Amino acid sequence: MSSLIQQGLPLTSARGPLLQFLRFRGKINIQRPKDPHYERARVIAVTQPKYPKVSQALTCFQSRAERMGAQVDNPYNAIIAREVRNWLDHSKLVAIYHLNSITSDEIFRVRVQLHKQNLHLKAYGRKIIAQAVAGTQYEAILPLFHSNHCIVFSPDQQRVGALLRLTRKVPQMVLLGGIVEQTLLSRNELMDFAQMPGLQAAQAQLVQTLNMAAGNVVQQLQAHQCNLIKVLDVHAKGNQEQGQEQAQNQKQESEQETQT
Amino acid sequence: MSIPFSGTLRRSGGIVSAIGKQLRSVNLKGVKRITVQFDPFAENVKATREFLFLLSTPKVSQSNPKCIVKPDIVCDRSPAFIKFALIDSAQEQSKVKEIRFNSDNLNTLELLQLLNKHVSTLAPPEEIAKKVLTKAEKQKLGGGAGGKKPIKKK
Repeated sequence: MSSLIQQGLPLTSARGPLLQFLRFRGKINIQRPKDPHYERARVIAVTQPKYPKVSQALTCFQSRAERMGAQVDNPYNAIIAREVRNWLDHSKLVAIYHLNSITSDEIFRVRVQLHKQNLHLKAYGRKIIAQAVAGTQYEAILPLFHSNHCIVFSPDQQRVGALLRLTRKVPQMVLLGGIVEQTLLSRNELMDFAQMPGLQAAQAQLVQTLNMAAGNVVQQLQAHQCNLIKVLDVHAKGNQEQGQEQAQNQKQESEQETQT
Repeated sequence: MSIPFSGTLRRSGGIVSAIGKQLRSVNLKGVKRITVQFDPFAENVKATREFLFLLSTPKVSQSNPKCIVKPDIVCDRSPAFIKFALIDSAQEQSKVKEIRFNSDNLNTLELLQLLNKHVSTLAPPEEIAKKVLTKAEKQKLGGGAGGKKPIKKK
């Protein structure tokens, strides 16, 4: 059956497809191609793809928009802003300084000295501080950060005296102001605060003043009695001395008598 | 037809390079003391603070190591100013004892320009230090005057 079909169809062959070999071991020519026939060349020319040409010269508005628009806020700024807010909330003392031109060596030395007193020297950028402080009670300190600055935080105790003493030696650090226990103080107020005695001393003074009122009355009532006692004391002492002198004289006389 | 060239060959570098250019020509030799007074909470003190910072840079302070820059902080919202106390020769030259800039409405570049215009010009001219002669030079001069010395062959 199959042989009958094959005899009827002349091109079919059981031997396989007709193969005509074009190349045999020679290298193919790719570098010097033959010019195409005119018709073929025409078709190729028409069917070449046209890509849209991007002009490299942008207009002024486009380049400015690229420049301005490309500044996306780094999310790390938010993390640092949170850290700043943390420091501000948990420090009893915050001092803000204007920083003149200073070498890293010197500022490191200052940082070490402050660290020994548990005072932490930090510096952040204005944008980050603005982000940290926007909408909070600390917004008033923002104008201090327009220029080169540094901040000193004291988390547990107020050591204003130590801080001022250390920073007085550094001419490049200029005190601008500070926050003491959530109260904003200007530079003069901060210096006065350093001169004031501590809280315990102030409390003792208050107690003393309160007691002075009552104490005054008591003192005035007892004044005459005290006076009398003093006078009697003096008198008694005088008598005592006289008696002692007399006793001494008698002793001397008796000794003289026994000698003779 | 081409028109003659008009415009700039180089673009300006902006305000920062202008400030840099002014800073390069700052000369504080005629000043003995600079007092910068400002209230940090007042408005418009940014320029004064920047100016103070620029005066403290090593390049500027090395133009006169004897000149003291003293920052003065006040708390009464008074307008900021900068005072330059001049040395004696500069005082004679300019017939004033000190120069004062009211910096409330000036920006940093203007402050520097004014500084260069009024203060840097009062710097005394530099004395050329007498050149120390080396031995070879002295010999040359001496040889030229009194006959060359015979060169000994070793």
